[in-house]
Amino acid sequence: MTFTRRQTLALISGTAASALAAPAIAQNRKITVGALRLTSHAASFVAEQRGYFAEAGLDAELRFFDAAQPMAVAIASGDVDFGITAMTGALISLADKGAVRIIGGALQEEPGIDGQKILASDAAFQAGITAPGMLDGKKWAVTQAGSSFHYMGSKIAAAEGIDLQYTPLQKVGAIIGAMKSGQVDGWSIVPHIAKALAGSGAVHIIGDVADYLPDYQVTTVFTSKKNTTDERAMTEEFLKVFSRGVDDFNAALVDKTEGDAGRDAMVELIHNYVYSDQPLEKAAPSIINGAMRLNANAALNMGSLRDQLDWFKAEDLVDDGIGIDTVVDDSFAPTMA
Amino acid sequence: MAEQGTPVPFRGGGFAPRAKRGVGVVVFIALIALVEWGTRSGWISSLTLPRPSDVLATFGELWSSGRLWEHLAPSLTRFAVGSLFGVCAGIGVGFAIGLFSYARAGLVPLVAALFPIPKIALLPLFVIWFGIDEASKYALIAFGTFTPTVVATYGAVDNVDRTLIRMGQSFGLSWWSIVRKIVLPGAMPGILSGLRISLAIAIILLVAAEMLGAQRGIGAYILEAGSLYDLERLFAGVTILSLLGVAVSFAIGAIEKRLLRWRN
Repeated sequence: MTFTRRQTLALISGTAASALAAPAIAQNRKITVGALRLTSHAASFVAEQRGYFAEAGLDAELRFFDAAQPMAVAIASGDVDFGITAMTGALISLADKGAVRIIGGALQEEPGIDGQKILASDAAFQAGITAPGMLDGKKWAVTQAGSSFHYMGSKIAAAEGIDLQYTPLQKVGAIIGAMKSGQVDGWSIVPHIAKALAGSGAVHIIGDVADYLPDYQVTTVFTSKKNTTDERAMTEEFLKVFSRGVDDFNAALVDKTEGDAGRDAMVELIHNYVYSDQPLEKAAPSIINGAMRLNANAALNMGSLRDQLDWFKAEDLVDDGIGIDTVVDDSFAPTMA
Repeated sequence: MAEQGTPVPFRGGGFAPRAKRGVGVVVFIALIALVEWGTRSGWISSLTLPRPSDVLATFGELWSSGRLWEHLAPSLTRFAVGSLFGVCAGIGVGFAIGLFSYARAGLVPLVAALFPIPKIALLPLFVIWFGIDEASKYALIAFGTFTPTVVATYGAVDNVDRTLIRMGQSFGLSWWSIVRKIVLPGAMPGILSGLRISLAIAIILLVAAEMLGAQRGIGAYILEAGSLYDLERLFAGVTILSLLGVAVSFAIGAIEKRLLRWRN
């Protein structure tokens, strides 16, 4: 094999460049991170925009999804390396098949911080439904069976002793449309969407999810099982980077220790991904009001995760024999008491 | 002049499909056996395909728990009501296009414009028009079966033997008599074969119709299985749809035998 001078030069400079840019473990390891366009995914946005991934030698690409379940399937198929979404039925089934594992926590309901809201459509509200307990026999919107909306609805129904008609509408966009037109009666959603909708008068906030599920770990960080065994170093590195994003986000919007300047910078950053079709001034209040605590160091709330798994089993959505160890790998992130 | 050349061999034959009993069944069994063996020996992972015996077990469970009918009854109702409306309207409009020049000039472009619209895309609109309950599902299936039925029907009417119509006119039959006794039976083969396509589309749309707001139904069951990544349930549901397709095809075959006896 012979090289021309140009090829040789290119080869040398290419090798040199990759050698120079090689920090701790990865040599510009290409990773794909799945995300939804929600404030709760801000840690990934921060890590991407502030170059934390690049600093750790991870060439991260964000890939956006419409719902939680497809992301779990994409991880199983190897198209995405890390995902951040709710613990869904698909995620548990795929974990049972040895494809994915939850490795950390991401979003958490916390007393004192505005969490997910319970909504009633305007039509239902006008008909006198002003509290979650009055939704008996009404239509509760879910994206799909076994989604976080289904879990929340079911837990609220159990606590209130009522029956809800779970109405699958596949996508959050479709649910919003159905809520506005009064086709469904109740729903629960992260605060920034809830408040924006309630502000327009199309829906009404009638309660807080936190009242029913006080330390509900809403979303988790998960990856393929292969990444937890064969790529341990890379997975640990990803969690470290992700936690840096989490810390920035919490400091700027949840604990508000960085003042107005820090807050505005964070809002602007998030606005690149969330509500990017709206002007910043319009999007800012929703983003600020909708900030929920992200778990520092991606800590796992095993109590909440166990409760969710038990619910899936009780609803006959997943196999009875699945243990929490099959779903969660707690060797990467700390666990909460 | 005496011919001394080489004899020409017979080159005819072939190109005539003959019925081979049981070959279709053998292909099915061989494929299923291959998947069963592959999943058991491990070279097909449980992530790729479910084990056929597990699918059968899931199906059996669905049957014995009575949940099969819980899902099948609403789906069959949606299928029957939706396609009844769509097919009846389609045959009516198809006949109008076939018989009247004004209807043809006015409606053929309209049907051509409606046909390629993905009916699934209109589902959210139908939900607003007809509500999230049964009516929007009937409408979706009716709309989906309507256009192919129209096209098949007016094509079939166009293909009715004109000499038969002229003969009827020579014998002094009234217009209505010709339509009833010559055009309708003459178009029936084309309409029925069009129906095979329309009803297959109705089954496809069943899943789409149950995407929004259906808690029960085969389509909802399949979508739920998909969202839970429960491959056994997914395949059990898909198998039910396949069987439904075979049953519909068989039923149309029986109707053809009955209605088209005059051909023999």
